[in-house]
Amino acid sequence: MVNLTIDGKEVTVSKTATIYEAAKEAGVHIPVLCYAKKLLPYGACRVCLVEVEQMKGRLIPSCTTPATEGMVVTTMSDEIRKVRKTVLEFLLVNHVVDCPVCDKGGECDLQDLSYDYEVVTNRFQGEKFDLPKDEVNPLIERNMNRCVLCGKCVRVCDEVVGYGSYSFINRGFETKIATAFDRGLNCEFCGQCVSMCPVGAILPRPFKFKARPWQLKEVNSVCGYCGNGCTVTLGTKDNEVQTIRFNDETGVNDGNLCIRGRFGASYVNSDQRLTSPLIRKDGELVEASWEEALEKVTEGLRSAGSDTGIITGARLTNEELFMLKNLAKAVGTGNLDHSGGESYKGVTEGLQETLGLQASTATFPQVENANAILAIRTDFYETHPVFGMVVNQAVKRNGAQLTVIGDKQGKLTRMPHARTLQHKPGLEVNILNAMCRFLLDEGLAKTEGLQGVEELKTALAAYSVDAVAAATGVDAAAIQKTATELATVENAAILLAYGLPYTAHSRELGLAAANLALLTGIAGRSGSGLYLCGEKSNSQGAIDLQILPAAGALGVTGMLKSAGEGKLKALYVTGEDMLVSYPDKGLIEKAIDKTPFVVVQDLFLSETASKADVVLPAASFAEKAGTFTNAERRIQRLNPGITSPGQAKTDFAIFQDLLTALGATASTSEAAAFAELAAVTPGYEMVSLDMVGDQGYVWGGETLAPEVRNLVTVEGGKALDSKFQLVVGSALYHSGTTSLHAKGPMSVVSEPYIEFGREDAAELKVLDGELVKLKAAGGEISAKAKVDRRLPKGVLFAPYHFGSLNLNRIYSGQAAIAVEVSK
Amino acid sequence: MFKEFAKGLSITLKHLLPGNSTTVDYPKVKLEMAPRFRGLHRLVPTQTREKCVACYLCPTVCPAKCITVESAENEQGEKYPKVYEIDLLRCIFCGYCVEACPVEAIEMSDAYELANYKREDFYFNKERLLK
Repeated sequence: MVNLTIDGKEVTVSKTATIYEAAKEAGVHIPVLCYAKKLLPYGACRVCLVEVEQMKGRLIPSCTTPATEGMVVTTMSDEIRKVRKTVLEFLLVNHVVDCPVCDKGGECDLQDLSYDYEVVTNRFQGEKFDLPKDEVNPLIERNMNRCVLCGKCVRVCDEVVGYGSYSFINRGFETKIATAFDRGLNCEFCGQCVSMCPVGAILPRPFKFKARPWQLKEVNSVCGYCGNGCTVTLGTKDNEVQTIRFNDETGVNDGNLCIRGRFGASYVNSDQRLTSPLIRKDGELVEASWEEALEKVTEGLRSAGSDTGIITGARLTNEELFMLKNLAKAVGTGNLDHSGGESYKGVTEGLQETLGLQASTATFPQVENANAILAIRTDFYETHPVFGMVVNQAVKRNGAQLTVIGDKQGKLTRMPHARTLQHKPGLEVNILNAMCRFLLDEGLAKTEGLQGVEELKTALAAYSVDAVAAATGVDAAAIQKTATELATVENAAILLAYGLPYTAHSRELGLAAANLALLTGIAGRSGSGLYLCGEKSNSQGAIDLQILPAAGALGVTGMLKSAGEGKLKALYVTGEDMLVSYPDKGLIEKAIDKTPFVVVQDLFLSETASKADVVLPAASFAEKAGTFTNAERRIQRLNPGITSPGQAKTDFAIFQDLLTALGATASTSEAAAFAELAAVTPGYEMVSLDMVGDQGYVWGGETLAPEVRNLVTVEGGKALDSKFQLVVGSALYHSGTTSLHAKGPMSVVSEPYIEFGREDAAELKVLDGELVKLKAAGGEISAKAKVDRRLPKGVLFAPYHFGSLNLNRIYSGQAAIAVEVSK
Repeated sequence: MFKEFAKGLSITLKHLLPGNSTTVDYPKVKLEMAPRFRGLHRLVPTQTREKCVACYLCPTVCPAKCITVESAENEQGEKYPKVYEIDLLRCIFCGYCVEACPVEAIEMSDAYELANYKREDFYFNKERLLK
């Protein structure tokens, strides 16, 4: 710690703090343009100049100068004022000053500073910039005529996102920010540069000319897409979410968002939203009143009783899931499940058997300080992009060694000195087993206090590093090196995402990852962690609340099979488009056809909803209050920013009505429901809504200690013997099926595709954009080809989000699908 | 006292003489307005479009909240007011909109005969304001 004086105020800050940060701590405001909390100091703009007693004779840039003991800093004087004003005049020499038509006007740092420092005339004259605008892409508009060359976009894209779209080009007056070869922007469109730009040089195109910043009402909420649980600030006007505002004060994401979070919220304003309940009459779905619809649902559920199946998505709030559970009780059924029923088994069964837990053991920020990180599947970045950015910072800033076990290349494998254990599809478990075996053989394993060490040793006999290396196609030395690192470094992390397209080996992967976490001592050690991250915004909450089949009752697969045999009398589906996103479409179709009464509660008339007997219009995340629990156990609050369209109601209100109609007691409000659920949910007992502040509340603490430490033997997978294998997964730009109604993600990836590696494409003579057909056991799918260099020979990839692809005709939960390619 | 009374009355009488009256025979005769008179608003046109760039400063500064602006992008990619409406029933003719305008796109004319029969006729849309 160092002590210094800023404008007469004594302040004590850490040794690594700069003068600017110290001043902020002391409550002294210093203007800045190029400084950002999450970026490394840069010192480009020279607006933050201050005087330091010990460094007389020149002005010191406060954002790059470390605070030292005994410093006496003055942040404002006549000279400082004059110099800052001159700096602003310089910046304004070439600036176009088109504030009236610039969307940044009103929240522009340059505008504010010019006003503060009364820059009304300019003593200097120069040519105004007249550079072409980049309006090629649909999401990010770049107008370099307004740029002040602070370099924040360059830095955030490199330091945080790890994409590196931007760079400074040219010299002197001609300097500008440009992409490679100065072409249009073509990146992952996370919009981090938009959020960082202090002026109007980089702006969100969907928000172009929509409103002025001061007209927007800001509402803090939580993004409704993935399990990362990023806080978003909705900018609302005219009962529409106009844009997502930058806010790095709340939540765990530091203001970072991905394309879905920043540009994907527009589905809430979609004109395709359901606005009224629908009831099937004479084979047609027709609009009906709530009374009629609820009466029908109540009657249907009551008469079905224990033969009701309830399937929910994991995007409902904790409170709503709690009500749904009560609804199941009121109906008298134990057939309750969520998210496909298989994909989360790694947590509910895998972690339960090995660690006695059903959650990740640590929080996201801890990963930044990890020395070694193991990501299972490259798709981890696609499913949880913002957590991926934390990994990027660990790698780039703190030199962490990242290892990726993946059947393809991806963003993570391209990170600096990342090691890729590229294996044949479906063999992740084998590699994890080999690592466990290696640790046990070499005596590196921390076996103290572990149950089942001997059994595991015997069971892993077949998983010698060399054997696994030969079977999976991974370099043996790399497996050994990774295992050694994980076991020997101070802090390590193991990451694994689960979700609907990753149902294969879910339980096995959970077990294998937990075994490795136990043997390396990662599980439960402070600073290290095993992360099993759910695909949807409240996947963890659904598991915490045990939205799982009761003892002896049916899970999703059981329900669908049983329904297909005509044994279920009613199906109640909330927030899930099963026909598109669940594996094995044939089974689901049969189940829906054979079930006499199907209720679907959703935002849109999805494929599943269009087959239902009653459709109830529900509310999006932007319209409700409640809490989500993210993949690191952080409970965060949602706040309603807009009202629901038409007669649509929140799921909470619908469940309230149904519970009342069924004669059960319903919680009166979301807050009351939270208190009730907290009382009965393990880990939530001590949590009250007041504790859930801006940063949320992590139940179980930063590090969750395992209840038990059992090693459980797990069988590895077998490689598929087929020339071409299709793997299914999530695309970066989409999440589930909801994002298909959002303009942002749709403007980048609007239709399904089948991805080919370059070698395969060359061999099959498949061109980018050409229509290809894949034939597999269950049927045939066809889509445009996308040729990239992510995939190894013989492996194809298809994202699961698009209903039009009918991917689940051939995908029934396998790790890889044997396919024949034709044109 | 009588002296003062006579003096006052003489001024009054002087005004009664022909040619000294300040009353105007309205509506046959109309006064010329002062150059800074604040009458009906007018949007200034250019060759191709309105001068207004829909910066939203006038609705923001308007104390009576009588201006409605909706901006949009035209074919040239420029910002323009898709909707520009002034509710004269609410307007207090303070002239702040004129003062706030960064591009001198709105001015106040000398028109003061604003009476009308229907409420709707007091809503001045963009086309009427551009006249």
